[in-house]
Amino acid sequence: MENAIVMKNVCKDFKILNRHEGLKGSIRDLFSRDYKTISAVKDVSLEIAHGEIIGYLGPNGAGKSTTIKMMTGVLEPTSGDILVNGVVPYKERTKNSEHIGVVFGQRSQLWWSLPLIESFRLLRDIYMVPKKEYEEMIELYRSLVDIEPILHKPVRQMSLGQRTLSDILSAFLHNPAIVFLDEPTIGLDVSMKAKIRSLIQGLNAEKNTTVILTTHDMGDVDALCKRIVIIDEGKKIYDNDIDHLKTYFGSYRTLRMRLSDDTWEERVIDESKEDVMDIIMKKQKEQKIKDIQLQEISTEEVIKKIYEGGN
Amino acid sequence: MNIKRHLALTRAGVMESLQYRLGTAVTLFANLIYLVLVYFLWKAIYASAGTDVVNGMSFTDTMIYLILATALFNFLEMFVVWDMSRSIQSGKIILDLLKPMNFREYTFWSYSGSHVVLFALTFVPTFIVVMIVTHGAIPIGLNLLYFAVATVLALIVNFSMEMIVSTICLYTESTWGINIVKETIVLLLSGASIPLAFFPETARKIVGFLPFRAVYDIPLTILLEKNGTDTIEGLLPMFGLQLAWALVLTLAGTLFWNYSVRKITVNGG
Repeated sequence: MENAIVMKNVCKDFKILNRHEGLKGSIRDLFSRDYKTISAVKDVSLEIAHGEIIGYLGPNGAGKSTTIKMMTGVLEPTSGDILVNGVVPYKERTKNSEHIGVVFGQRSQLWWSLPLIESFRLLRDIYMVPKKEYEEMIELYRSLVDIEPILHKPVRQMSLGQRTLSDILSAFLHNPAIVFLDEPTIGLDVSMKAKIRSLIQGLNAEKNTTVILTTHDMGDVDALCKRIVIIDEGKKIYDNDIDHLKTYFGSYRTLRMRLSDDTWEERVIDESKEDVMDIIMKKQKEQKIKDIQLQEISTEEVIKKIYEGGN
Repeated sequence: MNIKRHLALTRAGVMESLQYRLGTAVTLFANLIYLVLVYFLWKAIYASAGTDVVNGMSFTDTMIYLILATALFNFLEMFVVWDMSRSIQSGKIILDLLKPMNFREYTFWSYSGSHVVLFALTFVPTFIVVMIVTHGAIPIGLNLLYFAVATVLALIVNFSMEMIVSTICLYTESTWGINIVKETIVLLLSGASIPLAFFPETARKIVGFLPFRAVYDIPLTILLEKNGTDTIEGLLPMFGLQLAWALVLTLAGTLFWNYSVRKITVNGG
């Protein structure tokens, strides 16, 4: 079967009015034809297979949301081709919507004053989900999370965690081929984050749903994604699995040694150049080492280095 | 087209509106104050006119017209413009655009439920009270059926006007001023605040062809069997005007919306 998403040399430019400062400037802006072009996405190509969970990362303003909006069909690319489930999303937005689900961070698509079950029923009718499939899906939800306490609760009375959980459930309700999750764990406590991660994992495993996850929480990435795509200033700068990411800057590890006077000495070691054992032996000749710790570099640190433009 | 979808949206709308009982009660109370004001204002107007009938309408006629216009207004009033500008600013509109339904249909049917509730909670009680108080000044017969048809058409015309103004808001982002202008024009030219019979001859002729009239004046005229609407020959031009505007505005609104959304998807929003 073909890929879930194929993007070929996609670019997106925005035309933005050059704003001027002050009252005078604001008045001038009313008549201004002074536009500048901003390239939000530059020549991005991407292929995503069915059933993958992709971590789509990048610093704020890197072009993540723009890419997602193009994949959902809300934005039209300036140049390049996008195919989502074999459909050109911006040309057939409505058709495309039938096979995708979205959760956008802080915004909710649920009916605010109604109990969750009513939102589910409504979405079932809007997406024309057959009764049997709907009931199977609810059963699946029951097996993955404890939905009873939230099912009959009006959405406006829910905690942020419950609401996010509800939004994720409603994005999966019509069994879409692809689900876009834009910062789903933002503002949630540790236990809720874990719950949501295991839910996403469970749904992906059970329904083979492709998941595109954007997040700033490396815990999400470590828990869910095998493959990571990083975009910065509109350009794709990394596209590989998470294990390769750790060796992106060479294979670094941090060696910590507790010396005879109980102080810790820390060294970052590039294993392609130095050998950990050599360093320890050398040190041991100078003084006694009481304890040793060897730390893997965390995803968070690598990502931070990439965002900061380290090479 | 799938009617089940639409009815599901109506059903949700009904349930949502019923959550706001207090809001409905406050609306009814505010109306009462407004109607007292209207009563004394028109009483003074009739007193100073020196005759019982002004522009072919007696005091009772005018009061019935204005009370029912207010009730109709409460039931037809839509907040598409407010809601849309909020959802544009918060970005929530994306979630609505990503429903597997035509956006216009989706919006219309989402609001339909609240119309059903408001019709039952504001218009019907007002109508019954007016009927009892005036001892049969409102004719009861086929006109009720015609009124129902005219009201549905009025709803469509009103929705189309709201959608066009909402689309303008896609460009301006600030909606307050535009919406106030729109509401004032509609209330004045539709006959909701002053019966159209009181307009000067020329103005009345012009307003007679505008779409605003289709929202309040026509349904009320038909309900009260004025201007010859008790005959088919009198009814047809009324329905014709409503239908024509409903078609024209729906078409214009759809084209305008599609063009604007396309522009926004090209330039970003």
